[in-house]
Amino acid sequence: MIDLRQVHKKFGTRVAVHELTLAVPRGEIFGLLGHNGAGKSTTIGMMLGQVWPTRGEVKVCGHDVTTHRAQALQKVGAIFEAPAFYDYLSGQRNLEILSHYSAPTSRERIREVVEWVGLTGREQSKVRTYSHGMRARLAIAQALLPQPELLILDEPGSGLDPEGIAEMRQTIARLHRELCLTILLSSHLLGEVEQLCSRIAVLNQGRKVFEGQVADIKAGHGRVMLRTPDFAAATALLRERGIITGSLDGKYLTLSAGRTTADVAKTLVNADIRVDGIWHAEQTLEDFYLSLVKAAPPVLH
Amino acid sequence: MFFAQLTNELWKLFGKKRTYIGFGAFVLVQAAMLIIFRYTHWQSHFQEMLANNGYLASEYISALTVALVMVSPQALLLMPLYVALVGGDLVAKEVEDGTMRMILSRPISRVRLLSVKWLGGIIFAAVLVLALGAAALVAARILFPWKGLFVLGHLPSGSPMFGIFPAAQGLVLYSLSHLFMVTNAVTMLSIAFMFSSFNMKPAAATILALSYLFMNMVMQHIPFFEPYQNWFITHHFEAWFLIFQNPAPWPQIIQSEITLAAISTTAFIAGATGFQMRDIKS
Repeated sequence: MIDLRQVHKKFGTRVAVHELTLAVPRGEIFGLLGHNGAGKSTTIGMMLGQVWPTRGEVKVCGHDVTTHRAQALQKVGAIFEAPAFYDYLSGQRNLEILSHYSAPTSRERIREVVEWVGLTGREQSKVRTYSHGMRARLAIAQALLPQPELLILDEPGSGLDPEGIAEMRQTIARLHRELCLTILLSSHLLGEVEQLCSRIAVLNQGRKVFEGQVADIKAGHGRVMLRTPDFAAATALLRERGIITGSLDGKYLTLSAGRTTADVAKTLVNADIRVDGIWHAEQTLEDFYLSLVKAAPPVLH
Repeated sequence: MFFAQLTNELWKLFGKKRTYIGFGAFVLVQAAMLIIFRYTHWQSHFQEMLANNGYLASEYISALTVALVMVSPQALLLMPLYVALVGGDLVAKEVEDGTMRMILSRPISRVRLLSVKWLGGIIFAAVLVLALGAAALVAARILFPWKGLFVLGHLPSGSPMFGIFPAAQGLVLYSLSHLFMVTNAVTMLSIAFMFSSFNMKPAAATILALSYLFMNMVMQHIPFFEPYQNWFITHHFEAWFLIFQNPAPWPQIIQSEITLAAISTTAFIAGATGFQMRDIKS
């Protein structure tokens, strides 16, 4: 559904996105992570034809956004951080205005979507009277009106309270389950991404530093957690015997191919190094993300 | 679709309270001028001018005459201010508020979006001018009789203009003058719209448009630039008043109208080009 190839974007002399290649297949919930200024919104802007790439190819739904924007966005819905509406108009009128930029939309379709997001009864009220949660629901409604196949969500939980965040998470899961939408989710809320996304990409200073399955991250990439009074001696011995290839943070080991935790335990016990515990580590997305962004970032010019 | 998008654009323009505050301000100024004309020496000055030229003042101190007196200063001062304010908001305010990002996540081309917005702005400017012209006439009719039109003013050349017309012809000329005033308003709006389409705040677009108009007006009145009058946009804005000349200098009026239409179109194309090239970010 989304295919970015060697996409590069410069604002003046500052590189916002550096040679980014990314593919989001149909039916996936894909997470786009990164700190503020990492290039997430610029990347989304390029997917929606709001930001022109300096070079590279951006394809959405099989069409090049730069040259065939109308075809590319025909079946795309988008929600942005702090969705903006015409506050002095009703929710219904806002939906009519926004939907007519895509295609003629019947009142029946609007009613159906309003009901789906749970705004029935409030659609004739002016948007200025809406709560934050209601605005978020209206944002979902406007994104659903063109009957999209792809939904692009740029920080949709931003500014919501914990209850609103949970509601948004449930809605995204429902959109994927009931409407079979492909979803690109950009978020700072790592817990939400961990629960919702099947695959993620991490951007750091405009560069993609990781792309992979959330399940693989959770499995810790074969990392093993070792609890021992002398971690340095233990890792030195295990390295010498070729059982591990690396260690991290004074507690994690990366096993060599074909080696098991039993090999680790046996080697350490035979060498009289006490082992208090050894198990396969399940990494949280937060741990993984922080370990990625803590790595020395490249300076781009 | 184009019609639906245009209708929505008008909803956005006419749904704002500020729109009516602007209309209200115009009507208040008109009411104040009407009262001043009715109850001060202003009226007697007109009577004196008519009598000195051998006309019966009671035949020409009429609703049409007073309506034209009410409209003239508004066309010069209030209209540029208000139209530039609306034109400056058309694109830049949507970018500032974030609604432009919502719109541009839709499969509408930027040129089409700007075309709809510009056309909406043109309709708004036309409604504003025609509604105010009609309101001035209705208000004047309440206090003054329906009789001939007396026009007193200065031509662009600086020479005084004195015109007397029967009521029917006066009404035609009054209506025509408003059609030409619509061209003025559309040109002012288009200039503000052009700046609004570039990467700047709405207030900056309005100020730039007003500054450009003001600069034209100042330079037009510097004696050194006398031979270059056609180069100044404000010179062409005077076409609406020329039709009260007897006979009306139609070639000059048509030339000014074509020039203004060309300036509006150029401003739109420049704005659309700038908008097409820029990045829209939050």
